[in-house]
Parts: sequence; structure tokens; C-alpha cells
Amino acid sequence: MTFFDGDSSLISNLPAIVVTLPLFASLIAGFLGWKNRKAPYPIAAVALFLTFISSVVLMIQVMSTGVAIEYRMAGWAAPVGIVYVIDHLSALVILLITSIAFVNFIANKSNIDTVFRNKAGAFNSLYLLFTAGLLGMTATGDAFNLYVLMEIASLSGYALIGLGSNRAPLSTLNYLFLGTIGATFYLLGVGYIYIATGSLNMADIASIMPKILDSSMILFAFIICMVGLLIKMAIFPLHGWLPNAYSESANVAAGLIAPLTTKVTIYIMIRICLTLFTPQYTFDYLNTSDLMVWLAIGTIIFGSLSALAQKDYKRMLTYIIIAEVGYMVGGFFLGNRIGVSGAILHIVNDAAMTLALFMAAGIFMWKTGEESQESLKGMFAKMPFTMAGFTVAALSVVGVPPTCGFFSKWYLISGGIAAGQYFFVAALIFSSLVNAILFFRIFEIAHFEPFKDHHHHSSNHSNKGEEASAHDTHEQTIKEAPLGMLIPFMAVSILLVVLGLYSGQIVNNIINFAIPSSIL
Amino acid sequence: MKILGTITILLCGGLLIFFTSDFPDFGDPKSPASIHLSPYFIEHTLEDTAVPNIVTSVLADYRSYDTMFETTVILTAGLACFLLLRIPTKEVTRRYYLHEPTGVTLRFDGDRYPKGSNVFKRIDSNWVPYDIIINFTCRLLIHFIQIFALYVVAHGHYSPGGGFQGGVVIGASIILFAISSNLRASIKRLGEKAAAIFTATGVFIYAGTGALCMVIGEHFLNYSFLAPLLGTDRIMARSHGIFIVEIGVAVAVMAVMIWIYYNLSSAGKQDEGL
Repeated sequence: MTFFDGDSSLISNLPAIVVTLPLFASLIAGFLGWKNRKAPYPIAAVALFLTFISSVVLMIQVMSTGVAIEYRMAGWAAPVGIVYVIDHLSALVILLITSIAFVNFIANKSNIDTVFRNKAGAFNSLYLLFTAGLLGMTATGDAFNLYVLMEIASLSGYALIGLGSNRAPLSTLNYLFLGTIGATFYLLGVGYIYIATGSLNMADIASIMPKILDSSMILFAFIICMVGLLIKMAIFPLHGWLPNAYSESANVAAGLIAPLTTKVTIYIMIRICLTLFTPQYTFDYLNTSDLMVWLAIGTIIFGSLSALAQKDYKRMLTYIIIAEVGYMVGGFFLGNRIGVSGAILHIVNDAAMTLALFMAAGIFMWKTGEESQESLKGMFAKMPFTMAGFTVAALSVVGVPPTCGFFSKWYLISGGIAAGQYFFVAALIFSSLVNAILFFRIFEIAHFEPFKDHHHHSSNHSNKGEEASAHDTHEQTIKEAPLGMLIPFMAVSILLVVLGLYSGQIVNNIINFAIPSSIL
Repeated sequence: MKILGTITILLCGGLLIFFTSDFPDFGDPKSPASIHLSPYFIEHTLEDTAVPNIVTSVLADYRSYDTMFETTVILTAGLACFLLLRIPTKEVTRRYYLHEPTGVTLRFDGDRYPKGSNVFKRIDSNWVPYDIIINFTCRLLIHFIQIFALYVVAHGHYSPGGGFQGGVVIGASIILFAISSNLRASIKRLGEKAAAIFTATGVFIYAGTGALCMVIGEHFLNYSFLAPLLGTDRIMARSHGIFIVEIGVAVAVMAVMIWIYYNLSSAGKQDEGL
């Protein structure tokens, strides 16, 4: 009987556990890293796995009860203390964060060993702290607590991105400046909200909001919070930091940060607009839809065109990320139920797609040691499994059924038509076409051009016959990535299809409950 | 580009000033901030937590979860500095040795000079002669600074102070020692490894207290459940709980300050520096 009690108290404490477990693991990993260089990795892996399990349990709990879980930190109730609120939306994003952090960590073991060899303790600590920061940002129901956790996620993010190519420190410095401005703007906004309402709790502020709709302080708080978040999610024209920061960094860092940072920031934007400022203020009183949708259209077009101009595979991905930010922001600010559903669904799908593409980048880098698209020659023959997974991910970004990218795009386009934002619909279709060109260009290089062995540059250019036969032998030997990289990658690419097939259930059973009923 | 930047800054500043017009007056007792939550804290702090200093109780009890992550932010900063700055290679090219009886300085390439000599002393490349006034004053001051720091940590309940401030003062005293003698002397007393471990320990004290509350009772950081362990009632347990986490904060802040200083002042080599 006591065991059962202990078990149920474990479950009731899950909202705190899911955030503090990575924190504790990071402390232990940082501590043991000084004793034994090999110790931190398994600790971090186990902790990330347990966090993933707890997030699954949280999701099941929220779905089965149908009500949001409120957890009082230090035992104080809502406006006085800090509460965590796990509703359908945050449970979904928490599950997304934990699964991506875990899969990326498992898949990149060799990358961690080479890049962070001497600093394993510090690296594993920071990886866990980044995860904890994002989880806290997602789970919290307190506007200031969100800022504190944003600080943790940002600081550890800068550190993780800072080690990579020779130019990584410079691009990280750039990211640090802009990221700090973004976070500070958000904090300033919270300060204004506190002056106007005297509260920091999101639900409490939302209950005060109807009385102070015309307060200019609230207007400014809304503007400055939004600008801060838009900088952090890298919307055009505030995107300057993103391409360099993500493409210069080590694969393990890019694979964690690229899928998660922008997506979690969009989640924060949705959370702030819906839970804190209330949909009534965001959509009806201020009528922000048109402005934000136009911003999104600009982002989509700019991101797609810039991606077209890139020669490096990873840089191309970074511009695709920027275009996708436009999808989600635009979809959310359409302000109707279909558009908002599409935006939330796309947070999940885009994170999974980006993870798959960056994992593929990691495998290509491991294989060729280069980042240019030209280096992918002959990859289909050489690495059939990897390329199969890559094809699924690419088709998903383009938006081909039954991959998940198609379904969220379908919701976004239907939402755009329902809201009468035809330019947004046109931008989405344009971007899909550009994505098709981008990836089919890579398919062409990887399928039709012969493999170039980058490890042993062929010195034998004089004799054409010999060279051709050499290529023949190359093409026959299939040399895949090590299983440690390949299996997680294949799992993620299968997940892309599974997410697509079950997207109806996700929308009906989770996202539907995440959107307030006032949005029609 | 420069003009664009100036315009942006002026626009932001203008907006900030424009929107202050709606602010409540300075010290207005009817402002939302003064009537919404503040009365609760003012009226209930003593009966809830037995701490006379409202700032401390809000910081380390009502909003203790924020403070735990603020401490973690400091830990993150220390780790980030270490990850980005520290150069782990041991290949130090040039070292200088002072022959004390004659005052002759020798330069060696590499680490060839045998250790344990009592006539040769290793000196920094930017070495300055021993200054008796600075050294003596600092030696005298450091102990009092550290005792004062402990006072600041312990008296957070009654006066301005607490873990952050006390930790900063202890850290500053050690940095003062490093400046007044040199970095190597300071590292000899409190090495990088010790600083890193202290940092993790400090945050661990805080978060561990929280987890202990969760294991015994029901909420993370709900100090009331520590009452049986501390041998007090539930209200007093909150006061003691605040003190425990303040110690954790002090340890973490002290160690991170020293750790970051070591890495910054020696450009990551931790070989020589101020």
C-alpha cells in the first residue's frame, strides 16, 4: 500500500520532475566529469531517457483526464507563488522537446566524442541544462519564471553553438547580442505588465485583462514582448543571427538547437497571445492578424529565395528553418481554428523534419567531411538507407503525402483560405515549390553523379578507363553510417510518416483541446 | 547601417518615453502593483515563513523556484566560460624563472626546469616586484571581508543580504587575493577543479533541498515538510529552509565568480595572469 502511495506521489510530482531531472543530471554530470571523462555521457543519456518517459506519462495523464495539471512550486497557490500548468498544448511541446533531445543525443555520440573530448563534463551539463530550460519555459504558468528559464536555455545554447568551425565563435557572438536583446525586450514587456496589473501569473493577468484593454502600458508590453520573441524566433527581417549560428556549429549542437529553439519560441508566442494577453485582445481588440500575416509572408518568401541561393547543405537548411517560422507565425495569426491548429501541428512536424535533416547532415559530414551539396555525389548508391530516410524528410519538407509536412501545410492552406488571406496561401505554395526544387537538385546530384571518394583523393586522372572502373567498384560497395547514427535517423524518418498518418488523431485529441473555444 | 541603427535606437527610446505617460505616479499606493499582491506579502510573510525580511521570503520562499534557476543561470555562465575559453593543451611555450640570490631572470622554452628548487622561483611574463604595502593590506583585509561575507549570508533574514550578496563578497575576497599576489598562488589554494565542484555543489544544495521536500512531502521546495528533520514546526522550517538554500546560493556564486575570473584573466590557459 505504501508503495502505491509513493507511486502516486511520484506521478503527482511529474511536472516538477520533468524539469528538475535534467537539472540534477547536469549537476551530477558536471561533477563526475572531473573524475572520469567517460562518466557524463551515460548519465546524461539515462536522464534524457527518463525525462522522455515522464513526458510520455504526463501526456497520457493530460489526455485521459482532459484537464490541465497545476503544480504549485513551494506549495504556494497561483498568484502568490509560481505554478506549472501542463495542459494539452504544453504537454505536447514537452513531449516534443524530450524526444528530440534524447534522439539527437543518442545519434551524435561520435560527434560529441570528437568535438568536446576534453570537456565532456561541461558539454553534457550544458546539453541537459538547455533541455531543462526549454522544458521549464514550456511548462511554466508564470511570465517571469519563463524569462528565467529562457535565460538558461539561451546561455547554454550560446555555449553549445560556440564550439564548431573556426567562425563559430564570431557567429555565436552575433547570436548572443541579438538573443540578449530579444530576451531583454521580453523582460521589459513583463515589467510593463507587472506595472499595469501587479501580477506575474499568466492566468491571473488574463483575468485582469478585460478591465484594462485600452491601457497603453499593456499595448506597449504586447509590442515589446512580441518584438523580443520575433527576434528569438528569427523572423525576417530579424533573422540575421540564425544562418551563421546554426551552420557553423557542431552537429550535435545544431541538431538540438535548430529544431527546438525557434519552435519553442513560437510556442511561447502562442502561449503569451492566448493565455496571457487573451485571444480577445490579440485578435479582436488589436487586430494584429494582417500585419503579422504579412510579416510571415515576407519571411516565407525571403527564406525560400535565400535557401535557393545557398551552395552549402547546412546553410540551405537554416534558410528553410526561417521560411518555416513564417508558416507557423502566419498560421497562428490567421486567427481561425484551422490556422491555429495548423500552426501547432506544424511546430511538432517541423521540429521532427528539421531534426531528420540535421541528422542527415551529420551523417553526410561524417561520410565526406564537407558541407557543400556537391559533396553528396553518388550518395544513393553508397548509403541507400540514409538516402531513403533523407528522401522521406525532404518529401515531408516539400509537403508530399503521406508525410507529416503535407498535413500541417494542408491545415495552414485551408486556414488561409478560410481567413481570406490568399497571399499567405500563395506564399505557402510558392515555398513548397522552391523546396521541391531545392531537394530535387540534391537528389539529382546524389543519384546521378558518381561518388567522389573524399578520403583518398584520386590522383589518377590521366587514365579514364581506370578511373571509370574505380568508380564502378566504389558504387558496388555500400558503406553505411555506423548503426549508432543510422538507427535513430531511420526511426525519425519513419516517425515523419507515422506523424503524418496520425495527424488527424493528433489534431482531434490534443490540439483541439489546446485552443481556447473563443477561437472559431 | 550606422544611420539605420541610430534611427532604431531613437525610435525605441521615443516609444519607451511615450508609453511612460500612462505609468502610475511614483510611490502611488493605489497603483496596481501596490494593491494586487503586495498586501498579501506584507501582511502574511511573518506568519507564513517567520522571516521578518519580506524581500528574502519572496525571493527564497514564495518565488524560490525562480531563485533556484537564477542560481542555475550562474552555474550555466561558469560552464559556458569554461567550455568556450579554457584551452586544455599543456604545451606552454615559454616560462620565466627568477634566480632569487642574484635577481637574474632566465627564460626557458617548455617545462624543462626541475621543480622544487629553492633558489629559482617561477614568475609571470608581466611580473612586477613584490609590493609590501599592497600585499600586507590585502592579507589584513581578506579575513575581515570573508567574515563579513558570512555575516551577510546569515543575516539575509533580518537585513539586506543573503546568498547572492554574501557569495559575491567571498568570491571578491579570493579575487582580491589573486590580484594582490598572482593567479598561480590563488589557484594553488583553490583550484579550478575545486571551483567547478563547489559550483555544482551549491546548486545541488538548493535543488536537493527542493527534491527532499518533494520526497518527504508533496511539493518541490515546500520547506514545511522539512519540519521533522529540522526539529521545528512547519513555519519555522520555512525560515530554516530559506537559510539552507541561501548557503547553496552563496557557495555557487562564490565558486562561479572565481572560476570565471580564472578563465578570463588567463585567457583560458590558467597558467599565468593577474
